[in-house]
Amino acid sequence: MAQDTSKEPLLYRLEDIIQKYGGRAVLGIDSLAIASKSIIGLVGHNGSGKSTLLRILAFLEAPAQGKVFFQGKACCTRQDWVRRKVTLLPQEPYLLKRSVEANVAYGLRVRGEDNRPDKAREVLDMVGLCPEDFVRRSWHELSGGEAQRVALAARLILKPQVLLLDEPTTSLDAESTRRIKEASLAARTHWDTTLVVASHDMAWLESICDKILTLEGGRLTIS
Amino acid sequence: MDYIFKGFVEAISLLSSGHAETYSAIWVTLQVSSMSIVGSLVIGTPLGFLLGHTTFPGKAPLRVVVDTLLSFPTVVIGLLVYAFLTRRGPLGEFGLLFTLPGIAAGQIILGLPIVVAMTATAVENLDMRLKSTLLSLGAVPRQVLLTTLWEARFSVMLAAMAAYGRIVSEVGISMMVGGNIKWHTRTITTAIALETGKGEFSMGIALGIVLMLIAFAVNLSMCGIRKRVG
Repeated sequence: MAQDTSKEPLLYRLEDIIQKYGGRAVLGIDSLAIASKSIIGLVGHNGSGKSTLLRILAFLEAPAQGKVFFQGKACCTRQDWVRRKVTLLPQEPYLLKRSVEANVAYGLRVRGEDNRPDKAREVLDMVGLCPEDFVRRSWHELSGGEAQRVALAARLILKPQVLLLDEPTTSLDAESTRRIKEASLAARTHWDTTLVVASHDMAWLESICDKILTLEGGRLTIS
Repeated sequence: MDYIFKGFVEAISLLSSGHAETYSAIWVTLQVSSMSIVGSLVIGTPLGFLLGHTTFPGKAPLRVVVDTLLSFPTVVIGLLVYAFLTRRGPLGEFGLLFTLPGIAAGQIILGLPIVVAMTATAVENLDMRLKSTLLSLGAVPRQVLLTTLWEARFSVMLAAMAAYGRIVSEVGISMMVGGNIKWHTRTITTAIALETGKGEFSMGIALGIVLMLIAFAVNLSMCGIRKRVG
């Protein structure tokens, strides 16, 4: 059980969550609360359930059992409004087969927002990619680190209420790692974004997190 | 052999002189095949997306049915459409028999399984991360559909061209539903069949050349798209 003692209002509350893949339980959380504007670290071995928990928090998959409350309301994957407040950066992000600018601005486009090119330039700058060099580049002209930063920019442009990061710096060079760490924290600074970060980088998590949760075999063991 | 060579020479003459009957068949073919491919894509692309994107009970048997329909004989489609459109048939009141929309209805049935099956395969072969990426960026289901089809655009275009190739070269539906009426529903393929039966090789060859050029253009486009798809 992981209760939140923060003074900020509760953003997430998970109750009796069980997730199963092919009949096998991969995640079991009795109770978890996450406060607004907090930074939560998530650690655990590969296959411990970190990505599953993040996908449930992102409302991309529904748990087999249990309830997820967001801002006090029981929410599910079919509710578009809640998915527009939360965004997940996976470990190996997918870029659409179009230009960098179109990738970054996609989330704004589906929301019908204006001034997308300027906003795309702002967030590219935030992740350390020179807008003039990158906006017109195609998705296949990027290195792994650049693609990861473009994917993060596509999330940051949304000014999300919650940013979920699934091992965002795995297999990246030092420069890309530094830029991603800085840009993620900037979201918290500028827009009070709640961050949930799954990572094996304990030193980083300990330096930024309000709380670190450990998953072992799909169960929260330490908070 | 001499008559074949002579047929070729006369065919070139018919095409270069703008022979009205020949060009009528070409124009009718282009009109009806355009209607058919548009109909097949409008109906087939969303169905292909649903078949490839979603999971539901009975999906596997449905895939088998769609794949079986890929080899639906054109004369059987012609027979079925004729039965529905004839004056005594359930759709007889619309007066579509021996009209271009009537032929198009049959050709849509011919092209539909190709578009559905190939679009479904294209969507199934897309990266597994696409859907969750779109949802995580805030796309609603309609936007997920459109963006997914856009991501699979080269494969969907390949499906369109494969369907067009089958539609433009079929003869059974055009003959049975269109009736091969001169100046009205006579297409390239039905004209070739008729003229060859009459021993008029030159017009048959002229129309055959046009049909081959259309097929060549479609194949050339498919090669280009295949390269882009990788």
